[in-house]
Amino acid sequence: MEAYDAVVIGAGNGGLTAAAGLAQKGLKVLLLERHNIPGGCATSFCRGRFEFEVALHQLSGMGTTERPGPLRMLLASLGVLEDLTFVEMKDLFSVSMTDGFRLTLRADKDQVISELEQRFPHEKAAIHQFFDLVYAYANNMLAAFFFKDPAPSREKYPVLYSHAFKPASEVLDEIFTDPLLKGLLSVYWGYLGLPPNRLSFAYLAMLLFVYIEFKPFHIKGGSQALSNAILNRFLSNGGTARFNGGAKRIIVENGAVQGVVTDDGDRIQTEHVVSNASQITTYAQLMDRENIPDQVFTEMGGRSLSPSAFTLFVGFDCEPGELGITGSTNFLIDSFEFDDRIFSRMRSVDITDETMVLSCYDVADPDFSPAGACQANIVTLKYGEPWMRIPPARYHSVKFQCAESMLRRVEAIFPGVRTHIEELEAATPLTHMRYLGHPEGAIYGFEQYTKDSMFFQPGRYAPIEGLYFASGWIGDCGFQPTLNAGMSAAKSILKKLDAA
Amino acid sequence: MSKAIFEAFDGYQGIVDEIDFSRKHGVDYTVYRDSVDQQINLLHPSRISLRVSDIIVESPSTKTLRFVSQDGYLPPFLAGQYIAFFLEVGGVRTRRPYSLSSPPNQTGYYDITVRRVERGRVSNYLLDEARRGDILEGSGPSGHFYFNPVFHDRTQVCLAGGSGITPFMSMIREAVECGLDRTFYLFYGNKTLDEAIFHDELGRLSGRFQNIIYVPVIENPPGGYAGATGLITGDLIMKTIGDVADKTFYLCGPQGMYDFCVPELQRMGVPLRKIRREIYGPPAHIWEDPAWPREIKAEDHFRVRVAGGKPIDARAGEPLLTALENAGLRVPSLCRSGECSMCRIKILSGKVFQPAGVPVRKSDRQFGYVHACVSFPIEDLEILT
Ligand SMILES: Cc1cc2nc3c(=O)[nH]c(=O)nc-3n(C[C@H](O)[C@H](O)[C@H](O)COP(=O)(O)OP(=O)(O)OC[C@H]3O[C@@H](n4cnc5c(N)ncnc54)[C@H](O)[C@@H]3O)c2cc1C
Ligand SMILES: Cc1cc2nc3c(=O)[nH]c(=O)nc-3n(C[C@H](O)[C@H](O)[C@H](O)COP(=O)(O)OP(=O)(O)OC[C@H]3O[C@@H](n4cnc5c(N)ncnc54)[C@H](O)[C@@H]3O)c2cc1C
Ligand code: FES
Repeated sequence: MEAYDAVVIGAGNGGLTAAAGLAQKGLKVLLLERHNIPGGCATSFCRGRFEFEVALHQLSGMGTTERPGPLRMLLASLGVLEDLTFVEMKDLFSVSMTDGFRLTLRADKDQVISELEQRFPHEKAAIHQFFDLVYAYANNMLAAFFFKDPAPSREKYPVLYSHAFKPASEVLDEIFTDPLLKGLLSVYWGYLGLPPNRLSFAYLAMLLFVYIEFKPFHIKGGSQALSNAILNRFLSNGGTARFNGGAKRIIVENGAVQGVVTDDGDRIQTEHVVSNASQITTYAQLMDRENIPDQVFTEMGGRSLSPSAFTLFVGFDCEPGELGITGSTNFLIDSFEFDDRIFSRMRSVDITDETMVLSCYDVADPDFSPAGACQANIVTLKYGEPWMRIPPARYHSVKFQCAESMLRRVEAIFPGVRTHIEELEAATPLTHMRYLGHPEGAIYGFEQYTKDSMFFQPGRYAPIEGLYFASGWIGDCGFQPTLNAGMSAAKSILKKLDAA
Repeated sequence: MSKAIFEAFDGYQGIVDEIDFSRKHGVDYTVYRDSVDQQINLLHPSRISLRVSDIIVESPSTKTLRFVSQDGYLPPFLAGQYIAFFLEVGGVRTRRPYSLSSPPNQTGYYDITVRRVERGRVSNYLLDEARRGDILEGSGPSGHFYFNPVFHDRTQVCLAGGSGITPFMSMIREAVECGLDRTFYLFYGNKTLDEAIFHDELGRLSGRFQNIIYVPVIENPPGGYAGATGLITGDLIMKTIGDVADKTFYLCGPQGMYDFCVPELQRMGVPLRKIRREIYGPPAHIWEDPAWPREIKAEDHFRVRVAGGKPIDARAGEPLLTALENAGLRVPSLCRSGECSMCRIKILSGKVFQPAGVPVRKSDRQFGYVHACVSFPIEDLEILT
């Protein structure tokens, strides 16, 4: 029987860094991926002369070479920096509203503040107050947790103690009166999956802080380049990767991992498994119920599935300027309502007035698409469940209808896009389900309510010896957190082996 | 152990209550099991079992094979898509894509229409060996050659060559049977008239329906033939369609047809974004490619080592995928034309020749990945599958 020190299930961000981190330390590691390419969300696909980016809109936590952020340091430690070229985006984002409102914020604290002051002179003091609060929160948080203060207290970290569990909209309502301004400062909720009335201020503050301080980035060759680079490092450190075949079963005996059975029926002996698949898949599909303590399902049962997404990938036969696109990251917004209407929109299949983000990578990186062409990735969040009720025979026509509605929204802001379309592909929640294997196509794992944050959930640990998780399902989602999650899982295994 | 610090955060107790509540009224995730796979299999099964229910002779060199599903379910498809068959022929496990020629509204069966390729492994097998009742394994429907209502024009100008008629047959049948608001100009090129598949059916349909305009184009017509002859030229197309505005152009046929027809369309003023080309397998005579290295002959042989295993033999003029399959290796494939990336492999050392324009991801190129179905060995190789 084949034997490995560790088997990693899934080659998404978390699986890749876990595998690479273990192989780097000399462990014999097997990486199993159901698809024919590494990356999970972090991937691309080709249509005609275009290579479409699937997921990455803005990479967080990179920082510059002079002032490296946590992600740059992580990638450096894996030895993949030299294989990649990062493109800094100068703008935080642009917002375009159907009523003609336009605003672009540069990725710089002072410039963000002065731009907002100019546009909202009546909220001048509030703007300062808000950013002071965001920065105070982030600095408190980093000092207490990232730098692991051994003796934290309310006196040292007042904002952390008072704001960690507050809803974002409550904080915004306390500080601002102008609904437009509140909306603008919380557009990033889309990167987390919960509207501001349900999202905690902590998440919003950290996201703003991280993007402003470490700048948003993109990668030459897209997120696939990152996935390929990490896999390449894994292989050159002696790792074994198998594609087109995932894990079918995790073998557990006496509460400890004993091996894995692959989709091809091969039995692999190992005492360590890192699962990059969802916890639901890992527990409910890959393992026998009798090996799982009830506590697991009780804990998990209190959590809900995050939305999936509807995405349009469009290749244009002209430069972005000709379409009127001048920013890399564009939030297209109809209105700023912070009530549960946003939520119910996400629960319906059709697309009308939802917020969407349109990324045009060619603005920051003119080589992204072929010369004289450009591409847009337009995404809006949609729960997967309603899509699962569409009869298969109707699937394609519903998909086209949604694509058409989405394109109309884009046309309302950038008229004339339709006359330049060369390629167009749409991805539905079912597409995400197919390519990620996640229940209901959830792209952000479990929903990120405060109760689901790292403080209250088991994270990468399982009550089964040798089993670890590394993915967006264990807590925070996004590239930086999931890449980090894989490294943490690797470290846990290394630590355990060191201790033995 | 001392209390965790977050227990002192404002609002802590409320969160704890929320957790209790949510668990009490929680979701039972144990029932999820393989529900994801089941849901996906309704649309994109990785494998389906098909039984030959009928075989219809279409022309001296062509038959239609009709398939029904073994388990009673056939996934939906878009007219123009193909499925790949997974077969073992002459002791070699291989796969071949065939466009569905039946319309998608016909949910009871799938038709494929196969034309004989001289010395071809699978076409000859399907034409000569397949019998009613045989069970074949296939992929789910795939491919990107279909009418996309979001940005294609409702007037479709279709250029077909030989067996390249099949996706158009599916589209036209659907349009007629479902009364779709679309117009088809179909130019169908063949060497001889008796090779034109579906000639009678197309003639009938264009006689009955105003929105189906069928123009067969015969290279070597029989004496006294009154229809269009020679190749499908820009002049012929312009004369028939009037102008190029508000029309999308679709091509499906051999490479030679694309090489000739695409410049013709461009000369007519059709922008590239309006020209959709179906993939059609690897180039048949790769050594005639202008970029092919002169010193290499099609018959040259190279040694290919797979992950340090024992070397296998590969011919320069043949796709690497074929050599791997001949040696008994399992390499998945679907389109066998470079498009789908299923046959992606990593070249560790040595060189392959890849025709221009193969859609390989940029970072795949950077890290040495190629699509084996359109890669031709021009040195000894070491690869990772
Ligand atoms: C449309 C979209 C936009 C996004 N935009 C951003 C953004 O701008 N910035 C940002 O930071 N984040 C963004 N994200 C989020 C980010 O992409 C994800 O949080 C992150 O990539 C998830 O990584 P993961 O490690 O959880 O693995 P995933 O990407 O979820 O991959 C899981 C992998 O496991 C494999 N797998 C599952 N089951 C098995 C099995 N049984 N055997 C073998 N393999 C299996 C799957 O095939 C898959 O490859 C976006 C995501 C999407 C979909
Ligand atoms: C998306 C797609 C859809 C297709 N749909 C159909 C279809 O509807 N009907 C159909 O009959 N075929 C179709 N084909 C072609 C089919 O997949 C096979 O390539 C064909 O049947 C030959 O396979 P073979 O095993 O007989 O020949 P092989 O043993 O693979 O090839 C033998 C030799 O013939 C050459 N050759 C391969 N194909 C052709 C060809 N079409 N014309 C001339 N020479 C060729 C090869 O280069 C090789 O030198 C399609 C191909 C693609 C990519
Ligand atoms: S089989 Fe599709 S790219 Fe080779």
